[in-house]
Amino acid sequence: MEVLVRIENVKKIYRRDEFDVPVLNGVSVDVGRGDFLALMGPSGSGKTTLLNLIAGIDRPTGGRILVEEKEISRFSETQLASWRARHVGFIFQLYNLIPVLNAFENVELPLLLTKLSRKERREHVNTALNIVGLGDRMFHYPRQLSGGQEQRVAIARAIVTDPTIIVADEPTGDLDARNAEEVLNLLQRLNDEFQKTIIMVTHDPKAAQHARRTLHLEKGMLVEMLTGAGMEAMSARAEA
Amino acid sequence: MKFSKLIYRNIFRNRLRAILTVLLMAAIFFFIATLLSILENFTLFSEAGKGQNRLATQSAISLANVLPVAHEQKIRQIPGIVDVCQMQWFGAYYKEPKNFFANFAIDHHHMRTVFDDYAIPDKEFEAYANDRQGTIVGPELMKRFGWKVGDRITLKSTIFPFNPELNIRGVYKHPIDSSSLFFRMDYFQQAMGNNGLVGMFWIKVKDAKNMTSVSKQIDDMFRNSTDPTETFTEKEFQLNFLSMMGDIKLLFHSISLCSIFMVILLAAITMSMSARERVTEIAVLKAIGFPRGLVLTLMLIEFALLTLIGGTVGVLGGTFVYRFVNMTEVTQGFLVNFGLYPTPIIACVIASLGVGLLAGGWPAMRSANMSVVDGLRRVV
Ligand SMILES: Nc1ncnc2c1ncn2[C@@H]1O[C@H](COP(=O)(O)OP(=O)(O)OP(=O)(O)O)[C@@H](O)[C@H]1O
Ligand SMILES: [Mg+2]
Repeated sequence: MEVLVRIENVKKIYRRDEFDVPVLNGVSVDVGRGDFLALMGPSGSGKTTLLNLIAGIDRPTGGRILVEEKEISRFSETQLASWRARHVGFIFQLYNLIPVLNAFENVELPLLLTKLSRKERREHVNTALNIVGLGDRMFHYPRQLSGGQEQRVAIARAIVTDPTIIVADEPTGDLDARNAEEVLNLLQRLNDEFQKTIIMVTHDPKAAQHARRTLHLEKGMLVEMLTGAGMEAMSARAEA
Repeated sequence: MKFSKLIYRNIFRNRLRAILTVLLMAAIFFFIATLLSILENFTLFSEAGKGQNRLATQSAISLANVLPVAHEQKIRQIPGIVDVCQMQWFGAYYKEPKNFFANFAIDHHHMRTVFDDYAIPDKEFEAYANDRQGTIVGPELMKRFGWKVGDRITLKSTIFPFNPELNIRGVYKHPIDSSSLFFRMDYFQQAMGNNGLVGMFWIKVKDAKNMTSVSKQIDDMFRNSTDPTETFTEKEFQLNFLSMMGDIKLLFHSISLCSIFMVILLAAITMSMSARERVTEIAVLKAIGFPRGLVLTLMLIEFALLTLIGGTVGVLGGTFVYRFVNMTEVTQGFLVNFGLYPTPIIACVIASLGVGLLAGGWPAMRSANMSVVDGLRRVV
């Protein structure tokens, strides 16, 4: 599998008052193109921190992060912003839709940064909303949607620019079991059908089972383990 | 602009707050536009005789004192004078005291040379010159009281013991003064029993250079008489009339500046609140790839539009109010032909935009510079 994200000996130290708080102590891992990676670990172990580094909204204290061979950890803030616009799709635990925009407009948001015409934007948004099964809720505002629907709109927003990586920080953390399952199936479908590379932070082992691979963060170090769906997927692929 | 929807929705996302801010801005700019327009109104009237080379001669004892008509012949002997015209401030109203306006008895033989900035059609002037009780009226007054040429009107005097009965013979045109009424000096004198007294003389001087020397010669001539005079240029005379003008100007400008300063602080509080509430959203926009310059621009446009709407509502409201409220009546003749003038309107609109930029600058900058990670963490 082609290596998409390469993380080399990444360290992250936060300064709090006079103290240094080391969070990541030299993490190294490769993520292949088309992978679906689950990131687990106890609270405070640095999962969000690592995800933010990969997504280019934070910068490591040490080490290198390469995405498609480009060292994003050395990008300037401006470079990072335009890189994220083209390459990263974000999914958050609390959906984080813009409340004053309807579903269509929320999904269109990342496309406003592109040179696409209004018509092209509409087509892309329609496609994305249809993929998440909300083609009939386009003009609903976030407050008129259920949590599960909101998260699906957020997923549509994350995929509408056809990004290189999708990062999801506990995307089911705020959903009930049924909605969580629906969202996870959707992510799995994006990975299977559209070969989207997904990195997902989760607390829930059941959620992790939808991924191909699961990594555990403990005390700032990574431990890899193969689980359920990941295991099956790997063996299925080996057989093929 | 493809971001206009986002800006527009954000302006009115908290409807009550937006409306209150707009109203606050509207009230303040209504007030400021009014103050500035009052100043402009005064200035306009004080400059009504600009370039006319006119001097006004009154009694040196007090404004209320009168002078002998005989002074006129003596003044005429001074070289460099074009003409002299007797005039009497009459101070009457029409029907009710609230219908107050400027009215004068004037010597019709000389008014057209001394007041040649007042244009009167020859036919109408002729009719007036042929009617002892004739009167020439400003167009604004005609409109205000619904008068027509040929109407017979009675003025109620507040100072003199008779109520002139006048026939409207014509309407004058003047670039600034459109609400005065002039009737004949001989009618006034006759009614007063030809006592040979008059309020003031207007003197037209040939050359602007000679204004000061002519003025001095007049006053010197009567210094030791029983009726000493005091002569002003027309501008001094007008400013004298509004003697506190200089102070008023300073006062009005200070009040305007203070109000703007206050409103900037109030707007800054509102805008900081609005930016603070949206920390997560802004972090999400930045995560998605909105560059900081764009975030800054969007927020500044939003804040400036909000205050601009307020300022515009204020001056539009003012224009509307002064069109339908007769300020001449309300202020008992203190403000004549009052309305918001273009310069104060433009100044207020620009200032309201400035308030948004100044008040919103800091919160918008903070939002644009905020780290994405910090912004996102504030959710949890
Ligand atoms: N801006 C910051 N300043 C100081 N310390 C921070 C900052 N951000 C995170 N930390 C600390 O870094 C550690 C890791 O945080 P992180 O959010 O990555 O954990 P996590 O694994 O995502 O936890 P959770 O499962 O609770 O979301 C925590 O101890 C946290 O307090
Ligand atoms: Mg976390």
